[in-house]
Amino acid sequence: MSDFSRIMLFAKRLMLERLLSTRMYIMLPILLLFIPGMAWGFSDPNIVLPGGHQPDTAMEVLFYASLGVVFGATMCAVLLSYDSVSKERASGVLELRLSQPMPRSHQAIAMILGSWRAILGPTWVLLLFSVLIVRYRMGEWLSITDCLVYFTSTALILLWYVLFTLLASSYTREQGTAISFGVGLWFLFTFLWALVTTMVAYASGVSIGQENNAAWIMLEGGLDLLSPNGVYHHLLETRLPQIDRGIAAWQSWAMALVWTVLPSWLFVRRMEKILP
Amino acid sequence: MDEVVLHLMDATYRHSLYAPRTFKPWRRIRGQGIFSANLSLHKGTILGLVGPNGAGKTTLLRMMAGILPLQSGSVHDNDEDRGTVLSDEHLRKLVGHMPEQVRWQGRKTVRDALLEIGEMRQVSESRIDGLLKLVGLQSRIEAPLNELSQGMRQRLTLAAALLGSPKILLLDEPLNGLDPVAAAAFVVLLGKLKDKGVSIVLSSHQVEGLVEIIDRLALMHRGQILTEGTMIEVAQYLNLDKKTEITGEGDAPDFSKYGVSDKSIEIEQFSKDWKAVLAKSEPGLLKKLVEDGFEVISWNVRQPNVIEMLCAATGQSIEDVGLEVSSTAVLPLRTFRGEEE
Repeated sequence: MSDFSRIMLFAKRLMLERLLSTRMYIMLPILLLFIPGMAWGFSDPNIVLPGGHQPDTAMEVLFYASLGVVFGATMCAVLLSYDSVSKERASGVLELRLSQPMPRSHQAIAMILGSWRAILGPTWVLLLFSVLIVRYRMGEWLSITDCLVYFTSTALILLWYVLFTLLASSYTREQGTAISFGVGLWFLFTFLWALVTTMVAYASGVSIGQENNAAWIMLEGGLDLLSPNGVYHHLLETRLPQIDRGIAAWQSWAMALVWTVLPSWLFVRRMEKILP
Repeated sequence: MDEVVLHLMDATYRHSLYAPRTFKPWRRIRGQGIFSANLSLHKGTILGLVGPNGAGKTTLLRMMAGILPLQSGSVHDNDEDRGTVLSDEHLRKLVGHMPEQVRWQGRKTVRDALLEIGEMRQVSESRIDGLLKLVGLQSRIEAPLNELSQGMRQRLTLAAALLGSPKILLLDEPLNGLDPVAAAAFVVLLGKLKDKGVSIVLSSHQVEGLVEIIDRLALMHRGQILTEGTMIEVAQYLNLDKKTEITGEGDAPDFSKYGVSDKSIEIEQFSKDWKAVLAKSEPGLLKKLVEDGFEVISWNVRQPNVIEMLCAATGQSIEDVGLEVSSTAVLPLRTFRGEEE
């Protein structure tokens, strides 16, 4: 068996364990409500958003519906992976795993893939339903490129949250701290980031809250690159030509690469040095 | 002497401890651990690791299992002159490790749990079924881990350690949670593995009960291996002679009359009988006691036991120490090539 097959096999076991766990059954209705539910709501032909705006393309509707991913799927990613390392460490199974000849870096990669695929599978299925709902309600198909960007960006944001949570789980010796760290980080990027943006804007002398203020929009766009949710929306905005926040597509994809590589590297390094 | 399959040479690992200071909140220092351990494992032998709580037995086993990296020293696959230095990964291929008390839990089945570990070791499925049979879990193959008792979990951990037919088996407190019958079966299994040429290192608080199957003994205290060898070699090293246990009816004799000093005898007087343990053999004593009319019921000459050896090696006594955990905060003084650490 090659190293690659071994990693994939181990990842599959970890994925199935999480996919069939009780917490997944609890979270599925939440995901159902958040992802296809939002697509159904935003694709209503009579919907009028605050500011009198009406979404008029399938990609725009799915862009708004991506709030379901930001609020629901990322939280599920945290809740599925928070005990991936800490539970095994507390039970002694980690010690047994670390004494096996499979390199620790391979074990770490399998852990990332297993936890990620467990949340990615259901989310992608629900995104597919969302695309079908939008087609049914608006009579418009999403283009292949839009589809690719939408599905890839969603996969990436889930991966980032899984990585943060795995890192937290590997540093904590008990699961309460691991979940606090994961949920805390989710809370920061999902709810508090607007506060961070506002504070930086205030400190920089940029008028806050004024619509169509170019300086504010540019600053918010720049700061969003430092948040996984912000990068996610930047990636989706690459398919919405009417939105310009002063960030080029290559910058968004470059930051996506940084958000992917840096925590992955940190986690693999952490697992190489972890003590039982 | 048997072939050496693993040799630890000046192996050191000290745990990293937080020692924050006002301007260095993340400061860490090296604390207790294993200090310059030298140990050889011989093919097809069972080595018993004995030491008080906190002596470093588990740390040493983890070092030998390739889990804790050596901070200095090396591990060789043969004796120090002929062997090659082993990397952690090579070590893990060679060694099967049974950690202390793995709390298997979840809805995963016994078979799946073992398959997962087996895949990490590239072991075939058929071998896994055989191992489950060997440890007596064949009737529980499809049972969820949550439903296993502590003893069954121990058996599963043992099966995991045996995956991949390791040349060296490291067992940390393997008898914990096993019922007496299972413990006896476990001892038989160890004997079979030994006969197949597997080298076994056994750390157990119940070593006294395993003395019959142990070939060699290593006494540990405060992160150091104090001595290692066969039971007789260790006893000789510690200057411990064979003990003579005498029991009799009525009042205990005054042994000073027979030239036995108070220091070399322990006497216990019960209501109807008495027991005396002589530190050294006393030729002719039995004859004199019988001639003086004492009713001697038994006379038994035995090797010093593990507890006596441990007390002699560490300078502790059962009366003085009781249940107190020996302090590991103070690093042991040990001479390293003429210099004290």
